[in-house]
Amino acid sequence: MTQPTQSQATRRSFLKLATAGAAAVATGPWVSRHAQAKPVSITFARESSYVKNFDVHFQNVMAPAYEKATGIKIEYQIQAAGGSAVPQLVSMVENKTGADLAWVQQEWLYRDALVDVSDIAEEVGKQQGGWYDEIKRLSIDKGKWKSVPNGNIGQLMNYRKDWFDEAGIKSFPDTWDEFLEAGIKLKAKGHPFGMSMGHGFADNYSWLYPLLWSYGVTVMDKDGKKVALDSSETAKAVEYVKRLYKEACIEDCIGWLDPHNNKAFLTSQISCTNNAYSIMVSAKRDLPEMGKVIEHALNPKGPTGQRYHALVPVTHGVFGYSKDPQAAKDFLRWMMDPKQYRPWIASGDMYFAPYLHGFDKVPEWDVEPRVKPFQKVLETGKLTSWPAPANRQHGEVINRWIVIDMFTKAITGTPTKNAIAEAVSQIKAIYG
Amino acid sequence: MVEGRGFFARLVRLYLPLAVCLVVMLFPFYWMLITSIKPNRELYSAKIMPLIVYQPTLKHYYDLFADTNFLLWTYNTMLVAVVTTVVSLVLGAMVAYPLARLNFPGAAVVAIGIAATYLVPQPLLFIPMADIINRLELGNTLRAVMLTYPTLLIPFCAWLLMGYFKSVPRELEEAARIDGASRFQAMWRVVLPLTTPGLLSAGIFAFTLAQNEFLYALIFLAKSDVRTVPVGAITELIRGDVFYWGQLMAAALLGSIPVAVIYSFFVDYYVAGLTAGSVKS
Repeated sequence: MTQPTQSQATRRSFLKLATAGAAAVATGPWVSRHAQAKPVSITFARESSYVKNFDVHFQNVMAPAYEKATGIKIEYQIQAAGGSAVPQLVSMVENKTGADLAWVQQEWLYRDALVDVSDIAEEVGKQQGGWYDEIKRLSIDKGKWKSVPNGNIGQLMNYRKDWFDEAGIKSFPDTWDEFLEAGIKLKAKGHPFGMSMGHGFADNYSWLYPLLWSYGVTVMDKDGKKVALDSSETAKAVEYVKRLYKEACIEDCIGWLDPHNNKAFLTSQISCTNNAYSIMVSAKRDLPEMGKVIEHALNPKGPTGQRYHALVPVTHGVFGYSKDPQAAKDFLRWMMDPKQYRPWIASGDMYFAPYLHGFDKVPEWDVEPRVKPFQKVLETGKLTSWPAPANRQHGEVINRWIVIDMFTKAITGTPTKNAIAEAVSQIKAIYG
Repeated sequence: MVEGRGFFARLVRLYLPLAVCLVVMLFPFYWMLITSIKPNRELYSAKIMPLIVYQPTLKHYYDLFADTNFLLWTYNTMLVAVVTTVVSLVLGAMVAYPLARLNFPGAAVVAIGIAATYLVPQPLLFIPMADIINRLELGNTLRAVMLTYPTLLIPFCAWLLMGYFKSVPRELEEAARIDGASRFQAMWRVVLPLTTPGLLSAGIFAFTLAQNEFLYALIFLAKSDVRTVPVGAITELIRGDVFYWGQLMAAALLGSIPVAVIYSFFVDYYVAGLTAGSVKS
């Protein structure tokens, strides 16, 4: 009976095939899960660090250590400084391809593309003394952490102590009025101040916004709904800056970008500017005699009796388009573990001040005492959006330098009232 | 005008103006050179004469080669520039010839379209370009820029070559056609050899543009080992608000040498290219 044999053979083949198919379907997810569970590499994009050793430590110590521990290679993608990183990040988000995690500059532009990292941020906060409140306003969006703060680039007054002493100014001015008086004296001796007011990204905002705040002025109200810039205190602040520029500052500074004040300070053209501590590091390396006489001071107090500082945050986020966001999160968690995080921060000579209270009094701050004030920045530091939310509209105000131009227009001849009105009108148009 | 009699007349009308132009043109290179061999303490000193180097050093060159991937960036830059120049010249000639020689419906529209392509600014195009590059999985490869640079270079080469092709008398081509050459053979054997100056001129422009291009290289080439010199130098020699001027100038000077050598060999063709097509034949 051949036909029944053929039928049996056919049924047998079918059963074999069906069983194999069912097995494949059952094990497929397991196989694919395990095939995806361990990516070959994770790409981490970050703007180049001023302190080169910070990048070198990551590349030569941390990345190999992680690869040894997990088998996952870390590709460290260094991005150009000076504003180039944001177009790259935006391009990555728009095209849903690129680095798995990054220093998410201007994260308000693409928060929806970042994954929830609340578990990491809360764990790190609990473990390391808790986060400074102000940075939470950047990293937390709609109740979820979208980025994990890594450190703050402090911006303080950098000044030549030898020239201040020569002018009879034994301690750094405590108020803006004293600051102006000191500037007038020093300019008379050929050592003017150089306060950046051009279209840079840090050294202009780092003193003009704190000055406004110390006069009791903010750009927007707390909810970010009403423009609060139009006030008599704003006019007083603008008049002050006009006087400061005319009587105490070098002429060029009205158009300075971020590198210009460094160059002017290192070439002994100016006695004081607002900057990170890159000037002191460059001077210690290349101009040792000057390096000995550079000091740092907190921003002066205003009529409100308060002093403020602008935060320049470094935060890390994981992109949702990543092939394995969980692996990227695992790496981020590992990076923020004190065993890795603390030596990494120390390798940068505390250039990046951690936003964690657990680092407030660590001995690393004592290695170079003149760097200690940069930790103090965190106590009175505010995001440039303060007190309003850091969102797209705020980003547009910053990226169009509307408030900076308000000051420079007044300096170059526009009546103060008109300069303020123009800025207010532009901000209203942005916020709607 | 410069043919006045006597040395004094030539001095005033020729040698002095030439000397001024020479100083103005060469001063940036001199400045680059002295900056690249000045130690940092001299670079930052406002008290010494800046046009003289007191204690020259090769440290910046040493740091450039030892601490960065400069040689690799240079190789990448040259490779990309050569490939894109050749591709752009070939395709540019293929576009320019029919527009210069043939009358066909829509020729004017095509010519305007090509010119318009060149006028669209790069900041508007980099995101859609990035999308295409990523779909082709060419991100972080030199092929990404080898494909995108011709979008800038072909319109330029075509526009330049059109002028040269129009300057070749039609009669020469017609004579070749009468002798049995096809349209392509006439182009290849008659027109192209006569427009060699144009090809060289377009090639030099294209090479320089490709070598100096920044935005697409910044967006598409994120890894250090595939970067070109403009992006690599900016990324690793500008850290925060500090410019490593000595190394930057060393990189800029070394990067300009190949182009300077090429220009020196083909300067006559380059000058001829500046006025190509300006006189109607």
